[in-house]
Amino acid sequence: MAPVILALGLFATIGMGSAAWTETSEEPAPVIAAAPEAPAPKDPWRRFNRRSYAFNGFLDRVLVRPVTRAYMRITPSPLRRGLGNVVSNLREPSTVVNDVLQGHPKRAVKATARLLVNSTVGVLGLFDVATHAGLEKHRSDFGQTLGRYGAGPGPYLYLPLVGPLNLRDGVGGVVDVLTDPVSLATGGLGSDFGVGRLGVTALDGRAGADSALEALANDSADPYAATRAAYVQLRDATVRESTGEIETLPDFDLPPEGAPEGSQTPPAAEDAAPGLTVADPPPPALPASPEGYL
Amino acid sequence: MTRLHRRRAILLGLAAAPGVLGLAASANAQSAATRGARSPDAEKFVEAQVQRVLSLLADRGLTAGQRDAAFRRAIGEIADIPRITTFVLGKYGRTITPAQRAQFTAAFRAYAENVYQARLAEFRGVSVRATGSVARRVDDVVVSSVIQSAAGGPPTAASWRLLASGGAWKIVDVQIKGVWLAITQQQDFVSTIDNAGGDINVLITQLQRGVGPRPR
Repeated sequence: MAPVILALGLFATIGMGSAAWTETSEEPAPVIAAAPEAPAPKDPWRRFNRRSYAFNGFLDRVLVRPVTRAYMRITPSPLRRGLGNVVSNLREPSTVVNDVLQGHPKRAVKATARLLVNSTVGVLGLFDVATHAGLEKHRSDFGQTLGRYGAGPGPYLYLPLVGPLNLRDGVGGVVDVLTDPVSLATGGLGSDFGVGRLGVTALDGRAGADSALEALANDSADPYAATRAAYVQLRDATVRESTGEIETLPDFDLPPEGAPEGSQTPPAAEDAAPGLTVADPPPPALPASPEGYL
Repeated sequence: MTRLHRRRAILLGLAAAPGVLGLAASANAQSAATRGARSPDAEKFVEAQVQRVLSLLADRGLTAGQRDAAFRRAIGEIADIPRITTFVLGKYGRTITPAQRAQFTAAFRAYAENVYQARLAEFRGVSVRATGSVARRVDDVVVSSVIQSAAGGPPTAASWRLLASGGAWKIVDVQIKGVWLAITQQQDFVSTIDNAGGDINVLITQLQRGVGPRPR
């Protein structure tokens, strides 16, 4: 079952990646090609997406946020951190699988070592002793794996209950759920363990995102667009973490009025440059999951 | 090339993706090596100036009013707010009228100061250390850094984009958890103006009405 879905996922994603690519290459160059604007995310379903965004906002206000705040009030923060560590530890096997698929044996070994250390010395994952021993946490997922092998993100998608996604990472998320070794070993959502794990993961993700969500909602003129911008950048950064590729940044200044088109960034050079690396970036402290972040 | 051919070519390309990616990555690395030298003085600037702001925010000897005033002064010195102001308008930086620009500049400055203060205060940082830098051009550098928080725990990674202006470095953007602040603001603002049918006044009014972090 799982391999079939995995194969389907791969197909869907590759097809979508190439469709996205074809689309871009056939689009006429925008008139203000040299204006310092980050490329706008592909959001062809924005009407649906904005509606889902509004729905989730409503659900969050009336249900999710109150429950999360109550959880944060009731549980002392060491306990909350411990529970967060437990669910995070349960996610390590899936990270190992994706590290292997991405061809990163060192990262796979690191995640395996973390799992072993934290499950034993760390009392079933309650304490993240591995980090203190110099084994820093990282997360790998199947959307990232697809990105590692060249699948584009595809259109942006905002789903009710789920939150921000793109096609690639939505497919990746489904594959991650279906292939999660811990879930396969424990009977998934059919077991009390599975349900409890899902609940704690969701609460922990939402609690961890509390201040980020607040900031997005309060600081933005258009919170939907700000959420989309943040999610797209976050996922790009996640894929770059695996490929080691260079981040492309828009120029910062408008070219002077009347300057010949492309005087700053020749469009022809766009593929190869404008190169920008963050030399040996420490792996960014990524949140447990994209859903957890936003 | 027909669409079908192109698609086939792309699929073939994807089959060979790992190899091709490897090549592309090494080509990129080379072009970055010629362009992307480290910039020690930009790193020093980040360590000194970001440290200064973090210390200021953590200084319990100041009243809230004094701290705000000192923070605003410091930000004015180390960030290039005029350049950021133009950047966040994206394509609308070309069509804005002088009168609108004056209004937007004032509204954005107040908004940005609040956002920067709220974001930086969240670090509850005690010390910052530059971990590397890459020059995109001689006058356009990204410095990566780690910030150690007072609460302990693993340090937070943050990158700073610096542009040279009149012989001095100025910060124009900061990246936390993969997300650039000014780039996100640009998409936020451009989308707001797009949704208002291109009317920049709608954004100005929203900023004046006090979109932004709630007062602490």
